Amino acid sequence: MNMSDWKNSILSNSLIAAVPAMSYPGLKLTGKSVFEMVTIGEVQYKSVKALSEKYPVAASTLIMDLSVEAEAFGSNINFSEHEIPTVTGRLINSLEHIGCLRIPVVGEGRTNCHLKAARLAAENIYNIPVLGGIIGPYSLAGRLYDITEMMTAILIEPDGAHKLIEMCTSFLKEYALAFKNAGCNGIVIAEPAAGLLAADQCQEFSSSYVKQIVDYVQDNNFSVILHNCGNTVSLVGSMLATGSIGFHFGNAVDMLDILPQVPSDRLVFGNIDPAGVIKNSTPTEIKAHTTNLLTKMKPYNNFVISSGCDIPPDTAIENIDAFFEAITEFNQS
Amino acid sequence: MNEVLEQLSNCIEFGKINLKSPYPPSMKDKIGADELTKQALDEGIKPNTILEQGLIPGMNAVGLKFSQNKVYVPEMLMAAKAMSTAMVHLKPYFKSGEVVRKGTFIIGTVFGDLHDIGKNIVAMAVEGSGWEVIDLGVDVKTEKFIEALEHNPNAIVGLSALLTTTMANMEIVVKCIKDKFPLTKILVGGAPLNNDFCKKIGADFYSRNPQGAIEYLNAAQLGKN
Repeated sequence: MNMSDWKNSILSNSLIAAVPAMSYPGLKLTGKSVFEMVTIGEVQYKSVKALSEKYPVAASTLIMDLSVEAEAFGSNINFSEHEIPTVTGRLINSLEHIGCLRIPVVGEGRTNCHLKAARLAAENIYNIPVLGGIIGPYSLAGRLYDITEMMTAILIEPDGAHKLIEMCTSFLKEYALAFKNAGCNGIVIAEPAAGLLAADQCQEFSSSYVKQIVDYVQDNNFSVILHNCGNTVSLVGSMLATGSIGFHFGNAVDMLDILPQVPSDRLVFGNIDPAGVIKNSTPTEIKAHTTNLLTKMKPYNNFVISSGCDIPPDTAIENIDAFFEAITEFNQS
Repeated sequence: MNEVLEQLSNCIEFGKINLKSPYPPSMKDKIGADELTKQALDEGIKPNTILEQGLIPGMNAVGLKFSQNKVYVPEMLMAAKAMSTAMVHLKPYFKSGEVVRKGTFIIGTVFGDLHDIGKNIVAMAVEGSGWEVIDLGVDVKTEKFIEALEHNPNAIVGLSALLTTTMANMEIVVKCIKDKFPLTKILVGGAPLNNDFCKKIGADFYSRNPQGAIEYLNAAQLGKN
């Protein structure tokens, strides 16, 4: 699929497209557990496939599992039946120990599980792009070294911080390429930790490395969408500098503060609160929130409605229905 | 203001921990919060004065800048580290009762969630504003909050969650606490939260930043909440 054509079809269409970060709710349709989804490629694929058949999405998104890359480096992961896996502890206690780290090969840990899901989804989901998901380099460094340490390391040990992020980037470039080789049409790079930085820090320690990944894999047939769910109003310029085709924002921002900063030829995704609204509100409230955002975003042809982050696993299907009903009704009106 | 306390306040505000610390570059090779606190004590300045005229103004200044997006998490953490270093020298006086805290604040990341950066920032900022902080850590079971409250029945509780999946656990914790300690005030915070969610789960206050939490706590101390 030519992703430039896909992007242009969204830009030229007066109807607002929907690409929620939605994979876990598919478990309600397949009857599987979160644990099965994050460890068995077929389960993830079937969940995503079921969602793509049920809802009018403009692209299908695989899971945001922000532990899989750290696991490949050797981090311990806490798994449970119904909750998303999380990284426990730190892999290095000091940036002086970076030499102890080994850059993993794609295929280690559960990376093959996600790549299998990607391959199956790319082969069996038709007419819409399939987007894989990887973590961003700064966020990965935070998982390996501890995010609090990584925050202060950029101030007191910037050279060591850069070395660690370079190692992360080396792996992520190959992991991103593996999604491309698996047949995906793009990836979403989730870089939430960069949302805690100032613009110049974000540029130096995140965006410049994200750009390396973008330059490595993005072309007419494979797009990168950069996700940052932090308070990104002052970071938009830095995010744009990555060269990504699209930018995905969390509900920490007002999209009216974002859209005017983004050129009209780049896609902007956002930002219904996935937990507070989509998971925890009533269908009526969800429709109201969604319609309100759509109304505010109507002047922007490059806006794509989405959730602000991954929709939680135990979200009721009726709530997802309400989200899409609001979009359909708005587009029909 | 005393010159040492003024320097100490600056060190807290700008995150200068000690002589060895290279940050901030403009204060390189100068003594930091560690040495200045010790110097102030050696000069006979009362610990309470050091807290009130050195540490608290420094934390308030950086907290205000943080809430105004003039500094970000890394700078806030450096300030908190500087403050923690200074606190080490004052801890004996807290224990002896020579320095009286504003109150007790119990904080933890709710069960199922292992993230601690937001919790750490709030804990350190609140401590720097003169409160005793009992940090229960991450992945804190409800019973642990209850146990801490049994030992500190007048404490205010802070709950943190970063994940959309674990913020739902806050409701369970809030309900249990309110069942056993109906008068206990509960603050909630974390990236995916908002005021509506706070109200929905029965918590008393949501703050986007540490400064908001401190203002709420200080008002509670004065009986204004």
